Amino acid sequence: MNRPIRVLIAKPGLDGHDRGALVVAQGLRDEGLEVIYTGLRQTVEQIIATAIQEDVDCIGLSSLSGAHMTLFPAVVEGLQERGIDDMLIIGGGVIPPEDVLELKKRGLAEVFTPGSTIGEMADFIRNNVLNKGELSFFEPPSQVDHIGIAVADLEQTLAFYRDHLGFSVVHEEDIPDQKVHAVFLQAGELHIELLLSTSDEGPIGKFVASKGPGIHHIAYRVDDVAAWLERSRLAGHRLIDESPRPGGQNKWIGFIHPKSSHGVLTEYCQITDKE
Amino acid sequence: MYHQSDLADELESRLGEPGAYPFTRGVQSTMYRGRFWTMRQYAGFGSAKQTNERFRYLLQQGQTGLSTAFDLPTQIGYDADHPFALGEVGKVGVSISSLADMEVLFDKIPLDQVSTSMTINAPAAILLAMYIVVGEKQGVSMDKLSGTIQNDILKEYVARGTYIFPPTPSMRLITNIFEFCAKKLPKFNTISISGYHIREAGSTAVQEVAFTLANARAYVNAALSAGLHIDEFAPRLSFFFNAHNLFFEEIAKYRAARRIWARLMKEEYGAQNLKSLQLRFHTQTGGSTLTAQQPDNNIVRVTLQALAAVLGGTQSLHTNSRDEALALPTEDSARIALRTQQIIAYESGVADTVDPLGGSYYMESLTDTIEKQVLDYLRVIDEMGGAVSAIEQGYMQREIHNAAYETQRAIERKDEIVVGVNAFTVENEKVPELLRVDESIEREAKEHLLHLKQQRDEHAVESTLSALRNAAKSDDNLMPYILDAVRVYATLGEIANVLREEFGEYQPV
Repeated sequence: MNRPIRVLIAKPGLDGHDRGALVVAQGLRDEGLEVIYTGLRQTVEQIIATAIQEDVDCIGLSSLSGAHMTLFPAVVEGLQERGIDDMLIIGGGVIPPEDVLELKKRGLAEVFTPGSTIGEMADFIRNNVLNKGELSFFEPPSQVDHIGIAVADLEQTLAFYRDHLGFSVVHEEDIPDQKVHAVFLQAGELHIELLLSTSDEGPIGKFVASKGPGIHHIAYRVDDVAAWLERSRLAGHRLIDESPRPGGQNKWIGFIHPKSSHGVLTEYCQITDKE
Repeated sequence: MYHQSDLADELESRLGEPGAYPFTRGVQSTMYRGRFWTMRQYAGFGSAKQTNERFRYLLQQGQTGLSTAFDLPTQIGYDADHPFALGEVGKVGVSISSLADMEVLFDKIPLDQVSTSMTINAPAAILLAMYIVVGEKQGVSMDKLSGTIQNDILKEYVARGTYIFPPTPSMRLITNIFEFCAKKLPKFNTISISGYHIREAGSTAVQEVAFTLANARAYVNAALSAGLHIDEFAPRLSFFFNAHNLFFEEIAKYRAARRIWARLMKEEYGAQNLKSLQLRFHTQTGGSTLTAQQPDNNIVRVTLQALAAVLGGTQSLHTNSRDEALALPTEDSARIALRTQQIIAYESGVADTVDPLGGSYYMESLTDTIEKQVLDYLRVIDEMGGAVSAIEQGYMQREIHNAAYETQRAIERKDEIVVGVNAFTVENEKVPELLRVDESIEREAKEHLLHLKQQRDEHAVESTLSALRNAAKSDDNLMPYILDAVRVYATLGEIANVLREEFGEYQPV
């Protein structure tokens, strides 16, 4: 992209609270983005017309009056009706968490509520606008590689997975830096990884102590763990591993924080030739 | 640390006694020993019927005054069926499109026994007229009505955004109300000159007081130009301030504001009536200080802010609910908020002593500092030609925005700590139960309007609106014409539209 990212900050509806909109507009300008502010009391049609006319990459909608569920999706739909589906639409304001989820379902890329920083918003816009053209270069993960299950009693757990379900154990190893003993079973295309802690201090030990045994993580098989970690970092996701590290079965692995993946600890894993 | 040497000379004359000029120590001699401040929780959402139920609940819970929140279409003079009202009906307050809604809103609430504050500005004359007619129907004459209309249009241009008309006709509507009320509603506060929203928009404490007092002077000057006498309307001017986080600064702010106002009214305007010199104010705790993160912490913030307002001598108080950074407050949250001020009043003992901080080295020195900085601002605005001109040039707006931006930067740099937001955070926060406004309100409000328009006397509506139009072209006081139109159920939108056509609409700078 050879011009600055262009953002339209818009106030749909009748809400007069523009402190947030004005602060964000100036903050994004200071972050090097080009920002147009609509002023108050814009109709959905006015916002869409301005966005098209100004050829913006992103629209930031602000409402503190509770009208967000009506007005924000109307902007997305209005753009779609005009055949525009590559504009990044984000929102902000006094918006309850359940509405945030619903707005994301209805086409908003992100919703920033009180306490969000300008830095976060700028990063999010930059990464999503810049990555837009590159999305096709990313192959999505080819499959679930394995499901990690934290175990309190390995023998009893094996009695279920191996003896009752009938999956066969294909690999077993100690992973000392994770203080864990891992047993892999073949379950169709993917593996079940049973994780038994070898120390109360290890991550699995702590997990079992606080939550009891159960599903610990899901691992997706990717071509390049490093590239995926970078992509997630740029998209504003929180990483546990900044760079790939060796995991079980000689795979390269990297975790992203469950807070970024909606409650599920998520692992990228890459098969190496050594297997 | 502060010492005796930090106190100004002639402290006695700068302070005065409580209830005496220049009122630094408070407007009443006995302050809360005589009577607590009015506990007035701002409420309103959804339909008139729902809000009526919340009002009656709050009165039952020991609240002593009502405070009405209107939704945005009402505040901007659109009926619920106007296309611009889409998605906004009943959201930030109650939806009122006509007298019929107002009758439901105050059903079974005797208007001679409660004082009602209404947060209404651009269409204040219309809503006041509706309130008067509801009173008439209850058999309560105008002179028995007490309460406050916000009616402060200048801060709408600066900070709050619910303007309709340009400044000149807006100022005319305001002076019309001053004049009408001086004669007919002696117990009604005709304006609540508000720093609250200026502060919420991001201003400093000094800017809050300075811009509010600058606006107040503009109203006084407009009323004087319209031929009113200062002591005729000044006793009914009231103020509305924020209670923000910096505890001592807030207390000093209220004290400084009182002193500046008293001196201004006496020395510059020659007011004689003691009531004209008294800056009486309502306080609301700072909404923008509330955090969406760990919302129960907000109860503590509100407690400290409310305490500052009480120690600063407020006449009435709204305490915010803990969940307001997430949604409108639930009934539980609203009750805790009210209980917070009841605990301060009945349990803490702070109300037993009149101005307990008076004479403190730090408090008096801080009061002086704020006073000086406010006066500096007032001079600058004066040189720009007064508040209206400063607003038209975007001066106040820019000053506030710069302060707001600096605050945001300071929080991001962690120079300013917000507990639970940029420090002491927790993961996986539990979301409290939130109030949701039923989306069917908009549909129902439209149906009510349709029904109303089928029932009412269209001829009467047309003739009263046309009389209002002619009056708007003349210099007549518009209040009697608006009352006539309201009585025959002309809607808020219809009345506002006549004035829009005659006055034009404000275009922001």
